[in-house]
Amino acid sequence: MKSKYISCILVLIGLSVAEAQVDRSKLPEPGIPRPVNIGEYKSFELENGLKVFVIENHKLPRVSYNLVLNRQPILEGDKVGYLSMVGQMLRRGTEKRTKEQLDEEVDFIGASLAASSTSVFASGLSKYNEKILELMTDVTFNPTFPKEELEKIRTQTISNLAANKEDPSAISSNLRQALVYGKDHPYGEIQTEETTNKITVEDLKTYHDQYFRPNIAYLAIVGDVDFKETQRLIKTYFGSWENKAVPNPTYEIPVLPKDNIIALVNRSGAVQSAINITYPVELKIGSEDQIKARVMNQILGGSGSAKLFTNLREDKGYTYGSYSSLSADELVGRFNANVEVRNEVTDSSIVQIIYEMEQMKKGEISKDEIRLAKNSIAGSFSRSLERPQTVANFALNLARYNLPEDYYSTYLQKVQSISKEEVQAMANKYLKTKNAYIIVVGKANEVEDKLRPFGELKYYDTYGNEIDPSLSKIPDGLTAQSVFQKYIDVIGGKEKIEAIKSIKMKMQSSVMGQTMDMEQSKLAPNLSLTEVKMGGNIMQKIVFDGEKGKMSGMQGTQEITGDQALDMAISSAIVEELAYLNNGIEAKLSSVEQIDGKDIYGVEVTSPSGKTSIRYYDSDSGLLIKASNTLETPQGAMTVTGEFGDYQEFEGVLFPTKMTQPLNPQMKMDISVSEILINTEISADIFKIE
Amino acid sequence: MSNQTSMSSSLSIIFSVAIVWGFSQERRIEFEEYGLDNGLHVILHQDNTTPIVNVSVLYHVGAKNEPEGRKGFAHFFEHLMFEGSPNIARGDFFKIIESAGGSLNANTTNDRTFYFETLPSHQLELGLYMESERMLHATIDSTGIATQKEVVKEEKRRNYDNRPYGSILSETFSRVFKDTPYEWTTIGDMDDIDAATEEDFKKFFETFYVPNNATIAITGDIDIKETKKLVEKYFGEIPKGAKEIPRPKVEMKELGLVEAEVFDNIQLPAVIHAYQMAEQGSEDYYAMQMLTTLLSGGQSSRFQKEIVDNQQLAVAVGSFPIALEDAGVFIAYGILNMGKTPKDLEKIMDAEIARIKTEEISDSEFQKLRNQIENSFVSSNSTMRGIAESLADYHVYFGDANLINNEIQRYMAVTKEDLRNVAKKYLDPNRRVELTYLPKSAQQKPEEEEVEDH
Repeated sequence: MKSKYISCILVLIGLSVAEAQVDRSKLPEPGIPRPVNIGEYKSFELENGLKVFVIENHKLPRVSYNLVLNRQPILEGDKVGYLSMVGQMLRRGTEKRTKEQLDEEVDFIGASLAASSTSVFASGLSKYNEKILELMTDVTFNPTFPKEELEKIRTQTISNLAANKEDPSAISSNLRQALVYGKDHPYGEIQTEETTNKITVEDLKTYHDQYFRPNIAYLAIVGDVDFKETQRLIKTYFGSWENKAVPNPTYEIPVLPKDNIIALVNRSGAVQSAINITYPVELKIGSEDQIKARVMNQILGGSGSAKLFTNLREDKGYTYGSYSSLSADELVGRFNANVEVRNEVTDSSIVQIIYEMEQMKKGEISKDEIRLAKNSIAGSFSRSLERPQTVANFALNLARYNLPEDYYSTYLQKVQSISKEEVQAMANKYLKTKNAYIIVVGKANEVEDKLRPFGELKYYDTYGNEIDPSLSKIPDGLTAQSVFQKYIDVIGGKEKIEAIKSIKMKMQSSVMGQTMDMEQSKLAPNLSLTEVKMGGNIMQKIVFDGEKGKMSGMQGTQEITGDQALDMAISSAIVEELAYLNNGIEAKLSSVEQIDGKDIYGVEVTSPSGKTSIRYYDSDSGLLIKASNTLETPQGAMTVTGEFGDYQEFEGVLFPTKMTQPLNPQMKMDISVSEILINTEISADIFKIE
Repeated sequence: MSNQTSMSSSLSIIFSVAIVWGFSQERRIEFEEYGLDNGLHVILHQDNTTPIVNVSVLYHVGAKNEPEGRKGFAHFFEHLMFEGSPNIARGDFFKIIESAGGSLNANTTNDRTFYFETLPSHQLELGLYMESERMLHATIDSTGIATQKEVVKEEKRRNYDNRPYGSILSETFSRVFKDTPYEWTTIGDMDDIDAATEEDFKKFFETFYVPNNATIAITGDIDIKETKKLVEKYFGEIPKGAKEIPRPKVEMKELGLVEAEVFDNIQLPAVIHAYQMAEQGSEDYYAMQMLTTLLSGGQSSRFQKEIVDNQQLAVAVGSFPIALEDAGVFIAYGILNMGKTPKDLEKIMDAEIARIKTEEISDSEFQKLRNQIENSFVSSNSTMRGIAESLADYHVYFGDANLINNEIQRYMAVTKEDLRNVAKKYLDPNRRVELTYLPKSAQQKPEEEEVEDH
């Protein structure tokens, strides 16, 4: 009777809830958060030291294997880049399989297989479990590092490095590494063409032999597997993996600069400054501070709702975005705040970033900011748990960094319990506004004076080497004309150049591994014909008859007239510099830059049509070494640079025989000259335009 | 919010299919579905493994429903739906979800518009409230319209006009689907958007953004009974739409050989072949899906191995079928390597397609296809958001949400002969659109032709 009565009341309450008018004027109250279940894992260790974690998850019939090597960072010395090559090469051939066979067998079971110098990852359907394991262990244990594959990767790497040379974000990254860690620290080494060329198959083999060892390895297995069966399989496939002591180097911890240092990298054509405020921090993974410091950084610059973004983009409109990061690391972490802005607001942007850092230190942090930061960290933590891989990562981290067992299961509680005072304490501990490197990659003569108030101003080249700014002044009396004159003199002199009536050049060009033949003929004063050939067929032809030009190829035909023809009348000369002087072309000596310890003069040349380009001459040799132009691209105006080198003498005159020609901001054509014929008979007919 | 083109979303439909077949019963995706009095269709899937919940609302309206002279309307609406409501201030929609620890987005295709939030499960009610607010009374006013016009224009510049090859779909659709409501793509025409009035938008909202044109899918850490109550609480009071919902008919025209050159901001020319194809869900469609895997699925696929690795004619090559509700298109494409001509590439692409028609595919290659397709299925529907989208799509397009559990059988029913037959039936070189993408710098201007005559 009593229970019936109660249930009646419940029904009534239920009805009244359902029928009540919804109050839409305020947000619904959240329910009670459900405890987060991190998920369980089992682990075992083989006799050879391999530690294995198994996360059984039968929701989907899939399995993944993630093998991780836990080693100390390695100094690569004069072979920077070999570690990243190890990973790419593991997948390119084993004692049992060629690259093609690997591709075929991986595709056949719809699986995926990837590697780096410290990991091998494989995944696929659990019914192919053993096949996946077999493929994975084959690349792990038996890689052959074929020489021809190494050369393919080397070529790609070098062309990527060349493309990066002009890229402000790549330059900033070089500077961050070199300054925060120092170039003799494993985190501070910078890969160049030179270091890439030194890498040998032996290096990769030696590394593999030294470091692919079970005693430093962890294997996380996730998915539709049975623990017992997995134990058996792992013993079968990994049991005979031999252990061996692995080098365990130690490194000095980088220190903060005593005062702010402004590190300026000059990019004479830049319209934007890329700014980074950065310094090393001591923040260990899993340390007491880590979660609190993460909340602190989230408020400062962790998202589109954070202080930096709100100030620099929403309020000031300086930029598309501004963010900060605070990384924890076993060796040494780093703080970094970054923004890209137009030249005029370079100093104002630094002021605003420092201002927001100071606000954090003063505790000018609202309740809403803290709530938003904590909830979005908690939200992304919870969402990440949907993937069973997350549990595997947690298991690996617990083991690798020796974290307390409940580190992840109490993560959300720790986030939610953080107070404003703790956030402020973190800001005071980890935000440095007086011991930072303020790195600016931009146009020096427009920004340098405004940067001085922030600290000591130092100049760097694009690889993070300090250079002497006093050398970056244009010497008195030096003009564009005298730079041209010196060039003309060193390549052989006016007389010898003018004695050249015709020139025929044969060249090979290559773009992304694709090669073509090119031939260029010139007849003094300014007739020219350039042909690009493939397999004997002419792919493209550009001809100039002294007054007008024509470009034809597989994409149609285009006449060159008007301003463009005026420009071509200059560029078709046997030696352009002589044509500049003879035709009174407008030119200005605009910069002195230091590249690899040498002074390089930049001369801004304005063509008859009004286009400007900067030509760079080595102050010692007097030779032209590079030239940059501005290209209109869908992303806005961009500077592209071509290079000239390996000058050789022909009939008493030096000509560059190795060149690069930019096709667009991402792609360059490498040109090498195989033959130059001077004053051979060239018929004027070939320059005729019908 | 991002705008997914019909390409990507159709692909996601293709791949977001069942994960259960030939496996034990516990791998079924269990769900419950029912309708509210106002016509809103509700699908619930409970999975308490992780304390998160996904709330998704699908409106059965896409670019094909746009009235004459209003191309791009459906996608524009997607943007407008984040402008708020009488109870949610302008600009707060994102902030509210984010400060509750959630993430959110939306996308539009030719056939439908889709919105979702993924939240910690104790914020389920907030997700329902937010979605019900915009279904009940989204803010549609001149300020919001003006703001979003600029945003959408910027999106068009960034993702279509300035993106190399960004116009492939619109150039293809306008020819393959000529004189049908699939003729234009979701981003539409900026002049049409500019010309649209507040009245137009209100009418569109009243016609299509009604519960009887919507499906809500809620997946994740929920209690079914409690969730039903909350759905009724927030959506029950939304009135059924008073207007009839127009469903345009798609009548495909026979396609001949259509050739065109497109000049774009690109460096490397590209070849695009587009063929008419069966609509989604048809038997032929499943065979075409297998066929595309044969041509371009993985490092060892036929296009990749022959065209990119062996002959090095192209830097990239591929194929993909786009299956829409009422029709489809199959696209094969290649981006030329430096110094190669479109003709060379065309020849070899055609040769590879001709091979499918004449040579029998080996048992092991056929098995590879089935394995690859199987793996894609199993890997899809691994998140609550993916499951919600699949359930809603299956219900709306096929009236059968359970396809999430058994559509794989349709793929596995495809035979080697079916592959040959669909190749013959659809991939006819005399019935296709051939687009050649060329660098803008190579474009010939009329006056220059005159000069040439001198």
